Amino acid sequence: MSRLLDAGLERLTTILLRMGEIAEETIELSIDGFLKGLDVSDRVRSLSETLVSMSVDAEDKAFELIAKYQPVASDLRIIKSYIKIAHDLERYGRYAWDISFIHKRLAQSERCEDPLVLIERMSGKVIDMVHASIEALRSHDVELAKTLAKTENEVDELYFQYLDFSAEASISTRCLVTNVLAVRYLERIADHATYMGESIVYIATGEKVVLR
Amino acid sequence: MSTKIETRDLSVSFGDVQAIKSISMKILANRATAVIGPSGCGKSTFIKSLNRMNELTLNSQTTGEVLLDGENIYGNNYDVVTLRKKVGMIFQKPNPFPKSVYDNVAYGPRVHGIHKKEALDRIVQENLKKAALWDEVSDRLHPSAMGLSGGQQQRLCIARTLAVEPEVILMDEPCSALDPIATAKIEGLMRTLSTEYSVVVVTHNMQQAARVSDYTAFLYLGELIEYGSTKDIFENPKNELTEKYLIGKFG
Repeated sequence: MSRLLDAGLERLTTILLRMGEIAEETIELSIDGFLKGLDVSDRVRSLSETLVSMSVDAEDKAFELIAKYQPVASDLRIIKSYIKIAHDLERYGRYAWDISFIHKRLAQSERCEDPLVLIERMSGKVIDMVHASIEALRSHDVELAKTLAKTENEVDELYFQYLDFSAEASISTRCLVTNVLAVRYLERIADHATYMGESIVYIATGEKVVLR
Repeated sequence: MSTKIETRDLSVSFGDVQAIKSISMKILANRATAVIGPSGCGKSTFIKSLNRMNELTLNSQTTGEVLLDGENIYGNNYDVVTLRKKVGMIFQKPNPFPKSVYDNVAYGPRVHGIHKKEALDRIVQENLKKAALWDEVSDRLHPSAMGLSGGQQQRLCIARTLAVEPEVILMDEPCSALDPIATAKIEGLMRTLSTEYSVVVVTHNMQQAARVSDYTAFLYLGELIEYGSTKDIFENPKNELTEKYLIGKFG
């Protein structure tokens, strides 16, 4: 027999999964524009704003469910975690917008040279992490969620390599600052993917783990 | 944290029906412990075994031990009158005596030999205050208690229980006949009382168990399925049966 709470949880899940799809599109668009030297900032900004508004909706829905049904046990863990995950998805959008914004503002949306191709590699890993985090959300797959820890370490490694490189880089200052900020934003997106993984583990097992 | 009551392999049967099966658990002093579970799980039988109330039911048979401060209350020499003084009980339906408010609270102390007016006045006032009822009845101590509201009657029963200076207070669905405001007052009282007494409350209202207790025991078909801190039980129960019961996906 389905419970009154189930319809509300389904609605909340739908909001989050839709946010996941939009967040994937936002990040891919932003990174693509950055790597190819295209101005995609207006579209990325609009998508990011949609994510902000949906995250407010998700939080409102979660509060309504708590107020009406006083959920406990796995229900409570899901609702608490979904509030956090809505925030993570909103941050995905915000960092994607930050990348597009700095790319336009500082580098005039030109293609900035990255002699070591670190940013491209980092971008690929970050997009993989975003996909994995959203798939783990869809399936509550603990094993998949835990794989995020390893990729996050690899992203961190590339981030520090780029910082080391930046001290001796011979590219234009505008591009250098743009690139440094971009890798910083990518590194933050990877962090939020890992936070999502931690939330999925908590939902499924009740364990509060740190995957970073 | 010291143990106030410990049950060891406690089983209770009524005729051929075994109501609780080999329950071993420790109830801590000065804490509130909730016992939850679906209808017929044995939670009322369990709480009644803590002051030998089941003996009043025909064909009941109890095996195992219930240690109160380390002493088996089912031991041959254990005095039931002393037991009932130490372990008070509040029932689902408020059951004041058809006497005045004052006489309800003074009843127990009088039975135990206190007759001086000053002493009784002090006991009545003190315990009505502890039961958060004094402000509402201080000007009507002598009319019948039957004129009080349901919630007031239940708090009067609590005052009557406190007046004989118990150490443990058992509550069997103490709010199920009360409205939400009266329920909130009794729940607040349970929390306050648990700092001074060992409170054991049986409730079918899970949210009430979550609100008032420090520890929660989940019973199913007469067995103790899970027992732990209320926070752990309600956030992350270890047993699948507990989880299903709590989230309402039972059966």
